[in-house]
Amino acid sequence: MTFLPLRTRPIRAGGALCVNDSGRFFSADGKFVDRLSADELSDVDMAFLRREGHLLDDADRLGAAAHSYAVAERLTRAGPLDYLILVPTLRCNLSCSYCQVSRAGLRQPGFDWSDATLAAVLKRLDSLPTSRIKIEFQGGEPTLRPDLMRAVIDRCARFEERQFVVCTNLHELNDDILAVFDIPELYISTSLDGDAATHGRNRTGAGTDQFLDNLRAVMDRYGPQKVAALPTIDATNPPDTEALIDSYADFGLTSIFLRPINFQGFARKRHRASREQGAVWRDYYERFVRQIIARNWADRDRVLEESYMSICLRRVFQPGADRHVDLRNPNPMGIDYIVVDHDGTVYPTDEARMLSRSGVIDLSIGTIADGWESEAREAMNRAATNQFDPACQRCAYQPYCGRDLVDDIARYGRIDLPRTETEFCRRHLHMFDFIFDLIYEDDPAVRYSLSRWLRLAGTPAALGTRLA
Amino acid sequence: MIPLNLPALTEAQHPFITRLRATGEAKPWDSILVSEDEVGATFSGTNGIVALDGVKAGLLDGDIVLVQPGGFGVERLLRAGSLHNTLLVTERCDQLCVMCSQPPKKTHVDRFDLFEEACLIADPASVIGISGGEPTLYKDQLCGMIERVLSAREDLEFHVLTNGQHFDAGDIARLRNPVFRRVSWGIPLYAADAALHDQIVGKVGAFARLEESFAALLLAGARVELRTVLLTSNLDHLPALARHVAVRLRFVETWSIMQLENIGFAKNRWPALYVDHGSNFEPIAAALDDVELHGIAARLFNFPRCTVPDAYRPQAAASISDWKRKFMPPCAACRERDNCCGFFEWHPDAQALQGVSPL
Repeated sequence: MTFLPLRTRPIRAGGALCVNDSGRFFSADGKFVDRLSADELSDVDMAFLRREGHLLDDADRLGAAAHSYAVAERLTRAGPLDYLILVPTLRCNLSCSYCQVSRAGLRQPGFDWSDATLAAVLKRLDSLPTSRIKIEFQGGEPTLRPDLMRAVIDRCARFEERQFVVCTNLHELNDDILAVFDIPELYISTSLDGDAATHGRNRTGAGTDQFLDNLRAVMDRYGPQKVAALPTIDATNPPDTEALIDSYADFGLTSIFLRPINFQGFARKRHRASREQGAVWRDYYERFVRQIIARNWADRDRVLEESYMSICLRRVFQPGADRHVDLRNPNPMGIDYIVVDHDGTVYPTDEARMLSRSGVIDLSIGTIADGWESEAREAMNRAATNQFDPACQRCAYQPYCGRDLVDDIARYGRIDLPRTETEFCRRHLHMFDFIFDLIYEDDPAVRYSLSRWLRLAGTPAALGTRLA
Repeated sequence: MIPLNLPALTEAQHPFITRLRATGEAKPWDSILVSEDEVGATFSGTNGIVALDGVKAGLLDGDIVLVQPGGFGVERLLRAGSLHNTLLVTERCDQLCVMCSQPPKKTHVDRFDLFEEACLIADPASVIGISGGEPTLYKDQLCGMIERVLSAREDLEFHVLTNGQHFDAGDIARLRNPVFRRVSWGIPLYAADAALHDQIVGKVGAFARLEESFAALLLAGARVELRTVLLTSNLDHLPALARHVAVRLRFVETWSIMQLENIGFAKNRWPALYVDHGSNFEPIAAALDDVELHGIAARLFNFPRCTVPDAYRPQAAASISDWKRKFMPPCAACRERDNCCGFFEWHPDAQALQGVSPL
């Protein structure tokens, strides 16, 4: 008989969470953990563990193969390059104090793609072996160069499956920009920091009304399927949660990615407190999610969600949900997606570009013209996994979690801190603690929201297994 | 119903495969329409002449058929344009399922060579079904046919219905051949409880043997479509089966929960076996939710859309093959008709009518 290892973690509401290497989990009361460590499992325990695949008979070849399969399912399989984040210009028509990319001024020369860079990007697109493509236009403000976006999009016509995302501040709308937005496979992602006063203070100043008019205009023109927004929150002075949710709901926006200021770019100096988040932020986050749950229960006609909660929740239950490249394991760098900066430099992630721009460390891995199969890329990939981290190996949440080297470098200048001393770890420990609280909370309103976020047809009577 | 067997006469001495052509350019294996009148149509090819009674040539155009001498007629093996072509490779079986829609026979007529010929000239990009009886009773011949056809025709796929009683570790190396990426094995599992599964399939030890096959298929990287026919005996066991799938059978591509077919053994046992899912959908919903929760796709086969609660309707597939499907008169007005499975031709009309409420 083989007993497959279980890792345990207290559930805040009481009892213990037990998770195996494939991420399959159950809850038990504290006495089970005592029986487990004393090697005094009852017949009921044994039958349960056998049924749940934690205890295998030696002759059970399917059980052994199924376990290996489930462990393997948790590992990212990065395919060929099919996702490019493009920065056609670093110039921007706004000047936000927390700008993570250290934007260039509106009239500064030398921060747009040259003809040669555009040609190199198009040549790369032609050479990709895949039948699907995802392109995200970042900046700067990419709508300052609709011509460059158009050139890229036109060149993607040959792909069977196309998706384009424009990350824009919606400060300016004109016919050229709308003509690009009209492309059916294109999605608009913008920022909305809360009510008009908050948004104006953080971002748009006197231009706030203009932005709100533009947001209203694109919502009217395209509807919520095509437009998403996310707030940047100053955690030292966060907006009222109800008002924040209202400002989204009023526009018909249902997904809210609640992010504290990113400790990148201008924020490194002007918002030093954003380096780490403490209990105040975590409380704020939980309050926000619980208010969404209450609203979803009260009004079944629409489903609000906090986007990162949904992503993490799906990773708990649905291995292979790896398309969110900020949370996956291993997290291959410069393989299935890349960032092409305004000067044609290639970075493995958007944060790597921001960090290089700040002059902290050069994390570029190559150029769009000459390629990026570099020693720099290999060096990062050797460490881009949580599999062999001694702290992660003991952590119940390892199968759901990820690895973000660039985040560690951004905050601490190194990647070898004990994992538990990093913001990445603390943030995700909190997130998964919170998620398992919700999973085991016996409240129909909670189960209703979780089931919607998990994209289920119905609402199961229980989401988590329990050892009675 | 679309007839699959047609009365016909031929001068040939041996059975042969040919494609019937009423129009267009002919390939060497084609038989060309030479005459047609009110009583039938006559085709001619290199293997001889075949005269079919009571048919319109245009309706057979492009069909790949098996012509049998001695008055045994013509079998339409691969009908042109149909998505539901299935080759019945044997009528023998080593299980005796309580609801079997195609009760087994003792004798076997080996026609693998003819089937292989038919597959080799199949329409481009076809998915060809293989059924029985139990095809893997002739595992070596079956795999040989699949390997040769799929090596010669990179555009084809097979879907094989099998009871999964005959795979073992010795098959793993063979099934790792990349051509088997284009083969999906449809395998039934009726309960996570071994005794109940064995009772339903009428074979002691079937569950344990199936697990050995699943282990081999998993390790071979085989594609499996898991199938569960709904019965009064396993309805309440569905949630436990869903958990079993999420724990032990995560490698399946999809799980199909199938409503019963009123034919074969099920015909005489109908009241004892048939579950009216409209009046008790909870165990089915719980099962669907649990596997979907764990990232495994599930579908409902043979569940008319209007009989399924709104939330689960997208999972109800148009699963019933064209040649044996019917709709009730009220269905004419339904907006979901094109997405709906309808009813089996042999489903009791009174029962069908009772459950129908056009959307």
